[in-house]
Amino acid sequence: MSEENKSCSNGSNAEPTATRSSAPMWIIVVTLVLLFVGGHYLDTHGGWFSSKVYAPYNSAEQLDSFQPKSGAAAVAAQGKKVYESVCGICHGMDGAGKPGQAPPLAGSEWVLAKGINRLAHIPLEGVNGSIKVEGKDWSLNMAAMGAALSDSDLAAVLTYLRTSWGNKAGEVTADDIKKVRDEIGGHPQPVSGDQLMKMPE
Amino acid sequence: MKTGFSVFLAAFVALGASWYGFVYAPLKQLGGAKQTFILQSSDTWPVQRTGEATLGLQVYRQYGCAACHTEQVRQTGATTEIALTSLGTYKPEDFKGYIKSLVAVVPELLTSSNTLVGNIENWNGQLPVTLYAGEDSDVVAALADKLKTVGAKTDAHIVASGADIDINARSWGTRQSVAADYLYDQPVQLGSLRAGPDLSNIGVRAPDINWQLMHLYAPGSVVPNSTMPAFRTLFEVRKIVVGHPSPDALVLKKEFAPADGMEVVPTAEARELAAYLLSLKANVPLYEAPFTPVTAAK
Repeated sequence: MSEENKSCSNGSNAEPTATRSSAPMWIIVVTLVLLFVGGHYLDTHGGWFSSKVYAPYNSAEQLDSFQPKSGAAAVAAQGKKVYESVCGICHGMDGAGKPGQAPPLAGSEWVLAKGINRLAHIPLEGVNGSIKVEGKDWSLNMAAMGAALSDSDLAAVLTYLRTSWGNKAGEVTADDIKKVRDEIGGHPQPVSGDQLMKMPE
Repeated sequence: MKTGFSVFLAAFVALGASWYGFVYAPLKQLGGAKQTFILQSSDTWPVQRTGEATLGLQVYRQYGCAACHTEQVRQTGATTEIALTSLGTYKPEDFKGYIKSLVAVVPELLTSSNTLVGNIENWNGQLPVTLYAGEDSDVVAALADKLKTVGAKTDAHIVASGADIDINARSWGTRQSVAADYLYDQPVQLGSLRAGPDLSNIGVRAPDINWQLMHLYAPGSVVPNSTMPAFRTLFEVRKIVVGHPSPDALVLKKEFAPADGMEVVPTAEARELAAYLLSLKANVPLYEAPFTPVTAAK
């Protein structure tokens, strides 16, 4: 780039030689400015080469901000996430339960009950003893898996149970969960099916 | 050749850089692509084609459909919108006042306060009304939150936009095409010329196999003024066996129908191509291309 051919002056048969001269300052400056502008553009529009970021989105953060956040769909998504990390391992990702381990949730009368009081007691206190689900007796020992979840997470996961796999029952709100949790107070006791039946629905 | 090594080095760097940019980096980025999940669903995407449709891709390729049709919907923007669907116990006038008071105190709403106040000022009291449409998803989340606590109902959605997508423009798809859509295409038929419409969502736009077959046999019979050539080689025009007409024969309008006593029967290739066209669907939201499906927006 910095080489300049000069024709030779001492005799027509001599080999041409090249001399060195420095590149003009303005070219260097323009190149650096172009590099900077290009780098800045890449930084703000390139999405860091993520395979998930497509124009018109410029970054993973911007794409994240466009993911559905509110409304029934968002609650279902949150509930599904919680379900798959907490409940699904025993109850199955499809809610069908596992023989000898956990009863089904799809079509279960406990899940589909009109009120959510009994349903909310199960994750908040755990189950110990026999419980009848869809006409079958289960002898269970379930820990209080939901006690550590926030009200909104537990509400979302119970809503998910009540609206997935063909289940069609009402939503559960964080306030509903808070009410049950306050009732239980600081003394959760694993419940059996008979004890649950004695509670209001 | 004093400069031989430098020339070699320069050539190596130049070729190496283009190899890196055009071959290696894209392979690193998308070479390990797998099935992905449909947004807010446990269903995977894309759906594997049936055998017939997989063969149809080769027919599509053989007849050079990609010379005039693309399979890539482009998107130029996305907006997030929130609409008011129910006022709860409010009266419209009080609700206007409530929104104005919210704008002043909720920090997320401050930057868009002029738009919000403008929208609500111009509202004639009818529902649903769009409270906000723009790029700031925090505004939508904050509004949905606040309005839920006072008993009003809202409906938030994400809308992809662009000349390929807008209903009043080309309306070829609901979102842009992304790499995941082509996972099972071998080879990918992107196309670059749009003499005809984009086909990435044709299975949703024209889901009737008879329509597809009639269109292949005589484009003008279903799309007036179509410039598409008729692919008659995909069909067999034959004599009707007396008393046993083919159940697959096309039912064509009079000016396109064959002579009396003849029928037009699609060949296996035609059925494969039609099955492939019906398998072209890009109507589900993905993480990389989010939007709110119309059926879910209730």
